Amino acid sequence: MVTKANEFYDAYLTGEKPPNYNTLSGIELKQFYTARDVRHMDEVPGKYPFTRGIHHDMYRRRFWTRRQQSGFGTPEQSNQRMKFLLSQGQTGLNCDPDVVTHLGLDPDYPLAEGDIGLAGTSISTLEDMEKLFQDIPLNKVSTTIIVHPPTSAVLMAMYLIIARKMGIPESKLIGTIMNDALNQLVGPTLEAVERFFPVEAGVRLGLDVMEYCVKHMPRWNILNINAYNMRETGISAVQEAAFALSLAADYIQRLMERGLTADEFARKIAFFCSMDIDFLEEISKIRAMRRIWAKMLKERFGAKDQRSCWFRTAIQTSALPLTAQQPLNNIVRATIQTLAAVLAGTQSIHTTSYDEAYALPTEESHKLSIRLQQVIAYETNVTKTVDPLGGSYAIEGLTDRLEEEIQSLVQVIEDKGGFIECFKQGWVEEQINEARYEYARRIESGEQVVVGVNAFKEEVEETRIDLFKQASDMQEKRKQYIIAYKRNRNQEKVDKALDRLYKEATASERVNLFIPVSEAVEAGATTGEIIDTLRKAENFEIRL
Amino acid sequence: MTAKAKTRIIMAKFGLDGHSNGIRIISKWLKDAGFEVIYMGLYNTAEGVIKAALEEGVNIIGCSFLEGSHLFYVKKLVQLAKEHKMDNINFIVGGVIPPDDVLKLKEMGVKEVYTPGTPKDVILNGIKAIASE
Repeated sequence: MVTKANEFYDAYLTGEKPPNYNTLSGIELKQFYTARDVRHMDEVPGKYPFTRGIHHDMYRRRFWTRRQQSGFGTPEQSNQRMKFLLSQGQTGLNCDPDVVTHLGLDPDYPLAEGDIGLAGTSISTLEDMEKLFQDIPLNKVSTTIIVHPPTSAVLMAMYLIIARKMGIPESKLIGTIMNDALNQLVGPTLEAVERFFPVEAGVRLGLDVMEYCVKHMPRWNILNINAYNMRETGISAVQEAAFALSLAADYIQRLMERGLTADEFARKIAFFCSMDIDFLEEISKIRAMRRIWAKMLKERFGAKDQRSCWFRTAIQTSALPLTAQQPLNNIVRATIQTLAAVLAGTQSIHTTSYDEAYALPTEESHKLSIRLQQVIAYETNVTKTVDPLGGSYAIEGLTDRLEEEIQSLVQVIEDKGGFIECFKQGWVEEQINEARYEYARRIESGEQVVVGVNAFKEEVEETRIDLFKQASDMQEKRKQYIIAYKRNRNQEKVDKALDRLYKEATASERVNLFIPVSEAVEAGATTGEIIDTLRKAENFEIRL
Repeated sequence: MTAKAKTRIIMAKFGLDGHSNGIRIISKWLKDAGFEVIYMGLYNTAEGVIKAALEEGVNIIGCSFLEGSHLFYVKKLVQLAKEHKMDNINFIVGGVIPPDDVLKLKEMGVKEVYTPGTPKDVILNGIKAIASE
């Protein structure tokens, strides 16, 4: 690899070139592609199987939603940041609770104190949710709530209740509850997920939420398969796509077992995919996923409504290729990744900030991500014709190739009993651990060049960037808040609601638990108390 | 390094931060390089890790952080080590750590702080040097 001055000259003489011709997934690219590499050339956007896009007019009618994730500290602090983002031209919200909330715990949980409000905002009570969305019109801004079961039931209930208080009926709410039971915690690692709640019970509660939303919230998305968090462990584009599609198939199967038809809910299922730096492969991946999803819904699940066959995805530009070294390079990377997401015809984009190899984004870096998207949306004109890369031999050839590879891995998982089964058996974990080591090995060996890390390094780095800092008393304040909150409320009402939830959760005939969860929220129970009640009902203790 | 002289190291994450990519990869590198890794994985308390170090007689502890709880936990670890008179304990930190905090961690007594992108050799040689002190 080229690192020193004399090596540069040698490289120029012999020809500066990539170390190999593989994609990130290990597919060897041909010297050039021709019509013979392409099986599908007659597809059009907005028509089954939607490879070229789910709408015939795509961004000509409406750009993707600019949806930067945000969340830190107290709900009040996150509310300020969300309003700032909206004032800068962000067009949708994307709220991330902290890990304490994600795990179904309160800030006064003993092991929580060092993590409160760090990588998301702390949401324990209904009044927290009210503060988080204060002055934000929930019927005009679409919101994604990044949270998995069992906590998704609690936050969904909180969101509905605060909307009702604002005078907005649930039928008017627009947005998404992510609700993916397996993948929120840093990819699907058993090591993390099964320690705080039983896997099957989590999946089931997620289905309860979905069922409720399908029946009462026509404009609400019930599930966002979190392919991104899986991908960030280092798995390939093929694995990302196959894992995500297989998991979606499991969910569809289970919802159908509850008596729903695919056409009642499939159009409310969406994905959250990664956009890594391998430009051609990533664009082709999304195109292939659209084709596979459409065929799966129609052929396997009997969907008749074409909207059920629309593969819709949110994108986050991957943080994996971002570097702590020479951090401004990350702006260049994120631009390329964002452009790929646009050329792939995706529905919403979070452009990862250049400072995320150090900390959460500052206001400034958050704003830059929005501006970056606005430059692509308004200045480059790539939005003015749909799927501009469609018909490129390389893109179409690669789309076909990825479709085959993804499809065959989907089949492998299917044969093993589906993704959820593979997850519980530890197979997914094995795949992920292998991929992590392999990813690190490729960078170590120089097979995968990362500018500033294993090539073009700078001995003394002078780049200093302003970084986000948390308020020093935030964690203690949150802890004191929740202790005082629990002391000052009507305890009898809370106990009654939690009792009822426990009874429903242990009833011999299983009922949908969303309503009793919602009643417990309304009675003043906290996130941690509600999830603890469900743990008790499952005879489950947190395993630390 | 012979099998008998294997250097032992505890690898742990603290609190509720579940980001395990870094700790998994470094643990594997250490094992491949002949270290005996006591992988404590996710969700540890400072007290639990110090207790394990005392019981196992290990004097190198690798601590991994991504979400920003590094100062909180390292402060506790250093304090506990002092209380237990663990004079030759060595803390090594890896993860997403802002530059200012790298300095703070070193002032607290952390031997090395490895941020993303640090090459394998640098990490292994650094830990080997600490082990042979």
